[in-house]
Amino acid sequence: MGNLIWHEWARYVAITASVYTIWAAFEGIYFRKFFWDFIGGILRAPGGLQPSPNVSFFVTIIVKAPIIQILSMLTGATLVAIEYPAPFLKGTSIHRSFVARIVLLILHAFIAVLFYQGTNGALYALIAAMAYTRAIMLGETMEEAKNNRGRGGQA
Amino acid sequence: MGESWFRREFLTPRRAVFNVLFYGLQLAFFAYGWWAQETNKKLSALNALKWSVWVSRGAGLVLAFLAGCMLLPMLRNVIRVIRPKVAFLFPADENIWFHRQAAYAMAFWSMVHATAHYVNFYNVERTQVRPEFALDVHYTQAGGITGHFMLLIMVLMYTTAHHKIRHQCFEAFWYTHHLAFFFFIALWTHADGCFVRDSTGPAYTDTFPFYDPKFCLGYESWRFTIWPGIAYFFERVWREIRARRATRLSKVLVHPSGAMELRIVKPSFKYVAGQWLFIQIPEVSRYQWHPFTITSAPEDPYVSVHIRQVGDWTYALGDRIGAGPSVVSAMTKAAMAGAEKDDSIYGMRGDFVEVDTSVRSLPEVRIDGPYGAPAEDVFNVEVAVLVGAGIGVTPFASILKHIWYRQKKGALQSLKRVEFFWVCRDAPSFGWFQTLLQEVEAAQVDPNFLRINIYLTQKVNEDMMWNIAVNDAGAEYDPLTLLRTRTMFGRPDWQGIYARMKQAIEVGQYLPGINEQLKTTVGTYFCGPPVLGRAIHEACKENTTANINFTFAKEHF
Repeated sequence: MGNLIWHEWARYVAITASVYTIWAAFEGIYFRKFFWDFIGGILRAPGGLQPSPNVSFFVTIIVKAPIIQILSMLTGATLVAIEYPAPFLKGTSIHRSFVARIVLLILHAFIAVLFYQGTNGALYALIAAMAYTRAIMLGETMEEAKNNRGRGGQA
Repeated sequence: MGESWFRREFLTPRRAVFNVLFYGLQLAFFAYGWWAQETNKKLSALNALKWSVWVSRGAGLVLAFLAGCMLLPMLRNVIRVIRPKVAFLFPADENIWFHRQAAYAMAFWSMVHATAHYVNFYNVERTQVRPEFALDVHYTQAGGITGHFMLLIMVLMYTTAHHKIRHQCFEAFWYTHHLAFFFFIALWTHADGCFVRDSTGPAYTDTFPFYDPKFCLGYESWRFTIWPGIAYFFERVWREIRARRATRLSKVLVHPSGAMELRIVKPSFKYVAGQWLFIQIPEVSRYQWHPFTITSAPEDPYVSVHIRQVGDWTYALGDRIGAGPSVVSAMTKAAMAGAEKDDSIYGMRGDFVEVDTSVRSLPEVRIDGPYGAPAEDVFNVEVAVLVGAGIGVTPFASILKHIWYRQKKGALQSLKRVEFFWVCRDAPSFGWFQTLLQEVEAAQVDPNFLRINIYLTQKVNEDMMWNIAVNDAGAEYDPLTLLRTRTMFGRPDWQGIYARMKQAIEVGQYLPGINEQLKTTVGTYFCGPPVLGRAIHEACKENTTANINFTFAKEHF
């Protein structure tokens, strides 16, 4: 009972989103596909989907070389490091900053939405970003870990 | 922790059996699902997708099994009825624990299933075994879209069910968990897309179940998983019917410690000591049900619950019945201050104020329950050790009262002695409980039957220490609790307590007439934080001998 502390909930969603994306990106390295390639793409049997030449840039960075997948793994890992938090980030201003997280989450979502397996991770990252925005609007702050025992009442 | 993971999971016989069965069944379902897909001649076109389709079908079958398990532990009324019959077989009170295990397993298998399907649809598009885009399968066919939808619901449900979130905002957890309704709708229609088929196009029909089972060769798991769903639906309907039976809030007492005692009269409500109920006050919140421990004994003409004002809902309730936070906090302060300068024997801490009902009427209440708790079987043991920590003391109010009533009637069955332990940080905030303890203590004829042990774990400051030193010496009542029993300070040493009890039973001192040759059961009933519970459980296990059996049961609320 009591008030929902939005940033604490957002943390769990953000961790879910980033772990999901790391796993999805790992799979994406083996099964490379640009998510939006159906736009202008044509189906050919045999041969499968032929992406439109307009998206050849994305095909290059996703299918030819899994750059986007690796990038989203990196943003995902960074998010986990901030959220968990990694020992060297504990108590630093980055760890306490909601704005940094929102920016990173949106960036993460933007990268993840590009490849085939990453869309759910992107969606969850956006949900987490919205929850953090709500936390800022309500004026929540990140307290030192020892005060942060999940007690009810004021955040 | 202290004990290794392996010891906890596999060297405890019951746990080992559970693990082997629960996880073994999952692996068996996975293997069967895999095999049934791989060897099905009709599905050879789909089998061109190779291992990914086998994995996804295997994991899908496991998920169906787990989703079926999901609702079973939530059939609270069924559990309450079957609990006494199956208590020897499995701990029916650990239903939420089982619900969580099934949920964890479900998260894992969802990962396997979804990963495999991502590969499946990728390969469908690449090899064109079916002429369609991968994204068509993902987002336009029933199987894909319900799957993504269930994943999203799972993210929301799992994150809000985390104990930290659940404790700080029960409402968020409560409402989000009702997404389970949509989850199950999605689950039962997950196979309606007819992805697993031997025809080229999906074989839809116009009549239920909207696909042709001759061509759609899924496992038809909805035929099984729907039954727990139907059972749960009727469970909720039954709860609603029962909650609507005549209920009247007869009295509201406000205790100086801040607890509101609601005395409710509901003739159709039958319960035993130590159980709990859900309460709803439509005027405060239309849909929320809040769990509380029953603090009255079954012999009382009313059902009472003690509610401390700690959250939104409880504050709102306090305001509504005219015992708002300001009133209560003033009373609490007075009580805390009074705790130290109180010199009358039955001090002001025990006094309560009845809320005046002439000004405005009391709100309508609805109660649902009762639901089980292990303390029901307190009369089947020779010695009952009741351990309450902090607010966890509430179920024992009912049990102690009940024991007291039974004692008056002389119907204690095998119960010979009761040891009551109360470990708390600040005794004055539980003024209402002290009143009860005073009554029970004063009513004792046999000085050995009930022993009350109170441990105060807060730091004692200098003033308080002097106060205790001066007031305690030679006084008939303890200056802090106003009981005959002396308060002890610091944390109890459970190993020592249990070892001494064992020794005393062995030499026949503790229970007259019972000596070493006879089997004695000492039942421990605990309610409080898990860390403390673990310590007590350890002590119980270590002191169990051939003839003295220390059992341990935990209350959940």
